[in-house]
Amino acid sequence: MAVKLIDSNFGKLRIIKIIGNKSLVKKLFSLGIYEGGEIEKKFSYKKGPVIVKVLNSTVALGKNMAEKIIVEEEK
Amino acid sequence: MKIILVGNPNVGKSIVFSYLTGYSAISSNYPGTTVDILKGKTKFGSFECEIIDIPGCYSLEGESVAEKVASEIINSKNYDFIFNVVDSNNLERNLFLTLELMELKKPMIIIMTKADIARNKGIDIDYKKLSEILNIKIFPVIATVGVGFDNIKNQIEDIFSSKKILENSLNIPKDSLEKWKLIGDISRKVQKIVHKHPSILEELEEITTTPSTAIPFAFLVVFISFYLIRFIGESLIAYFLDPLFNNYYMPLVERFSSYFKDAFLKNIIFSNNINPLEGFSVLTTGLYIPFVVVLPYVFSFYFVLTILEDIGYLPRLAIILDRFSHKIGLHGYGTIPMIMGMGCKVPGIFSLRILETEREKIIAASLLFLISPCVPQTAMIFSLFAKYPFIYMFLLFAYIVLVGIIASFVLNRILKGDSSDLFIEIPPYHMPVFKNIFLKIKVRITQFILEAVPLVIFGIFIINILSILNIVDFLSKIFSKLSIIFSLPSKTASIFMIGFLKKDVAISLLIPFNLSLKEILVSSFFLVTYLPCLASIFVLLKELGKKTTIFVIFFNLFISLFFTKIFWIILSFII
Ligand SMILES: Nc1nc2c(ncn2[C@@H]2O[C@H](COP(=O)(O)OP(=O)(O)OP(=O)(O)O)[C@@H](O)[C@H]2O)c(=O)[nH]1
Ligand SMILES: [Mg+2]
Repeated sequence: MAVKLIDSNFGKLRIIKIIGNKSLVKKLFSLGIYEGGEIEKKFSYKKGPVIVKVLNSTVALGKNMAEKIIVEEEK
Repeated sequence: MKIILVGNPNVGKSIVFSYLTGYSAISSNYPGTTVDILKGKTKFGSFECEIIDIPGCYSLEGESVAEKVASEIINSKNYDFIFNVVDSNNLERNLFLTLELMELKKPMIIIMTKADIARNKGIDIDYKKLSEILNIKIFPVIATVGVGFDNIKNQIEDIFSSKKILENSLNIPKDSLEKWKLIGDISRKVQKIVHKHPSILEELEEITTTPSTAIPFAFLVVFISFYLIRFIGESLIAYFLDPLFNNYYMPLVERFSSYFKDAFLKNIIFSNNINPLEGFSVLTTGLYIPFVVVLPYVFSFYFVLTILEDIGYLPRLAIILDRFSHKIGLHGYGTIPMIMGMGCKVPGIFSLRILETEREKIIAASLLFLISPCVPQTAMIFSLFAKYPFIYMFLLFAYIVLVGIIASFVLNRILKGDSSDLFIEIPPYHMPVFKNIFLKIKVRITQFILEAVPLVIFGIFIINILSILNIVDFLSKIFSKLSIIFSLPSKTASIFMIGFLKKDVAISLLIPFNLSLKEILVSSFFLVTYLPCLASIFVLLKELGKKTTIFVIFFNLFISLFFTKIFWIILSFII
């Protein structure tokens, strides 16, 4: 089931869609966050930020970004 | 031969730069340490080389000022060679930039840092195979201790001489998604990761990022930091520097001054006041303020800050503060310039470059000047309040912070737009390396001595001249009306006139006036907030331009005057 990253459960997730302007998509892209890619949600504060593991690094994303990333839980 | 050091943020470019050139570039464990270019010279065999350290970037199309600085240089192609610095712990992410660089068709080598940390984490990289696949020479190093640099120095001459532009056996796809696929393929071939037990540092990671434990931990860290800064600073003064000055230096000055006949000069240079803070002469107060009162705190502040920086705690603090920061129009990383600004405003202003929008920069700059008095000011406030109960000094700082927050609330309302979003990489914790800490403290203290000491002496000289020419009284008269309106003691008008030259001197000038506690509190608040010091005005002009600088200055002056008045009214009830 597809949910926003900010609402999703912890653990491994697959990115289905990134809603947002080109520059946001590009920015996320260069860190390895892209549609079809995989991330792991580690921690999250209620109103952001969300902390995810992507490739071998840890990245903190603000609330607005975390709302624009649609993910699906990996089975 | 012009060489640029290119890589993702926080991979170790600056530390590599320091090793190769012998210069001391500041390196810290958080992305965005370097925000400007830094040039250094070195010789590899017969090759005279200029090496350029640039800000880190994740791709060639960065958004923040610092990243734009980087991509401009890289895209200009105005260099002969690229040293691509790659973090061994993050091979895949780093390779994205590497592939982009390869498309530029410039000669290039790869320096892989943090080989030590990677090994401890169970990351095993086959450097030889990777080198074959990319057709680029790779040099693994441990940059913190300088292991591996000999290899570079020995082989680089040959590499320069051949100067071949690599024939890409690798077919680099234009499309970014395809690039990630390729990177996946490569890393499967060259990298093996064995799971190891989490180390102490990794457990600390859990504690300081899980929200329920991270917030109490942050309070603890901040509390301990302030306690340590005061403890180290105070001890240095009480047991070492003050006795040294009074028992050894002062007698020397007295002896020397007895040879001096001219009373006028004698007063300016030596003074006959035994209290080194009250005489206000060049050789007593002029040296006592920078070396005895301020320097110990500069040292203790940077000692604590450097440890926090090198362990990697600052980005964690930024995450915790993110939510609150949004209320005042910033995101969490906007707190980094504030923390830098507690040392000195100038590096604080430079680090505004890690912010993206003009709006955020205005808010952060204004807050920077209001909320965090730099170490010299703080040290002077400590010494000014030493004879009063601690609560009054606390009251002063609490009021400063409160006003700063109110001001940024206001700015957040009146400036158009919205705050942008936090987006940072959180580096893993590192064990701080003593040598790096020592080096950084040395750089920062040298800077303080070279820049601040002459200014303090100059400031004191000017004050002497002013008071001899009776300009002080004259100014007091002119300003007395104004002072009454804003509840500032009018006799201190001259101090406010020169205050922006050197703020710590200005604060110490309050001492000889015999002000009441209430007057001291109000004057200190005003002196801290009313104008940025001269040096920071210049840097602000350079960084943010005329319009913004003028806006920030007048906005802050207004806030400062208004809240000085309020402070007086509040204090009238308390004291
Ligand atoms: N243990 C270890 N630490 C390293 C090594 N190389 C760099 N570091 C640490 O990594 C951190 C980042 O180093 P910097 O030199 O500031 O990195 P940078 O690439 O210049 O970073 P930015 O200027 O922010 O882009 C510092 O804390 C260094 O001490 C290494 O080989 N081993
Ligand atoms: Mg750097």
